[in-house]
Amino acid sequence: MRGIEKRLGEFQAQGVVPVAISVDPPNVSEDLRRKAGLTFTFLSDPKTDVIRRYDLLHSGGGPEGHDISRPAEFLLDRSGVVRWENFAEDVRVRARADQMIAAARTLQ
Amino acid sequence: MEDISQKPSHRALWLGLLFTMLGPISNGLYFLGFPASAVVWITVLLPAVGLTLVLIGLRRAFGQSPYRDKVGGAIAVALSALVLAASVGVFVLSRRLPQPSTGTPQMGQRVPDFTLPDSAGNPVALSQLLAGSNAGGPPKGLLLVFYRGYW
Repeated sequence: MRGIEKRLGEFQAQGVVPVAISVDPPNVSEDLRRKAGLTFTFLSDPKTDVIRRYDLLHSGGGPEGHDISRPAEFLLDRSGVVRWENFAEDVRVRARADQMIAAARTLQ
Repeated sequence: MEDISQKPSHRALWLGLLFTMLGPISNGLYFLGFPASAVVWITVLLPAVGLTLVLIGLRRAFGQSPYRDKVGGAIAVALSALVLAASVGVFVLSRRLPQPSTGTPQMGQRVPDFTLPDSAGNPVALSQLLAGSNAGGPPKGLLLVFYRGYW
């Protein structure tokens, strides 16, 4: 998240808008945004409706066995079609901002 | 000062302990800008090398008679084994993730629309973000980042 924020200007230059999604309720996301100085949009899916629809549910993956989202990134073009995607194999290894900006450059 | 090169078992034990201790410390490489994909392997490889060296040292210690430091060697093995077990445990748990399946949006597929509240509690639709209703024209694309959450 901080990697994206740090290079937000480059995403904007490519015309790409980052959007973060998790089970965190809005107030938790707002806390994170404020503490970490994140300015892009955070969406909340506490009931995992969208996470399930995207088949990204990590059942019991959260503390006390809460259902959460597995880490994943999708780059959509202007019509909402997936042009690049990444699924972390290790929760500690996320897509790097470099990779995502390189993918953003390929968008028409 | 003692010349440890005269005692190959000591040298292997100490070197092994050093590698073992570098294992947990190597997590810090991530913050120094090393790629996380490499760091997660290093955190396991270092204690694995450490335990191997310690075991070599212990074998040598038992091979030498009379040798005084069998207890120290055993403690070193226990410590190294513990650190390695913890490192492997974290590694395995971090990789225990459901694999993306056929229901996951594939390359070239249009993703389903949805509406979710933003961090201010206002409902935001994906279609609305694609249309660029906030400022300027429509964006060239959206980067959806699903993350585990900070709870």
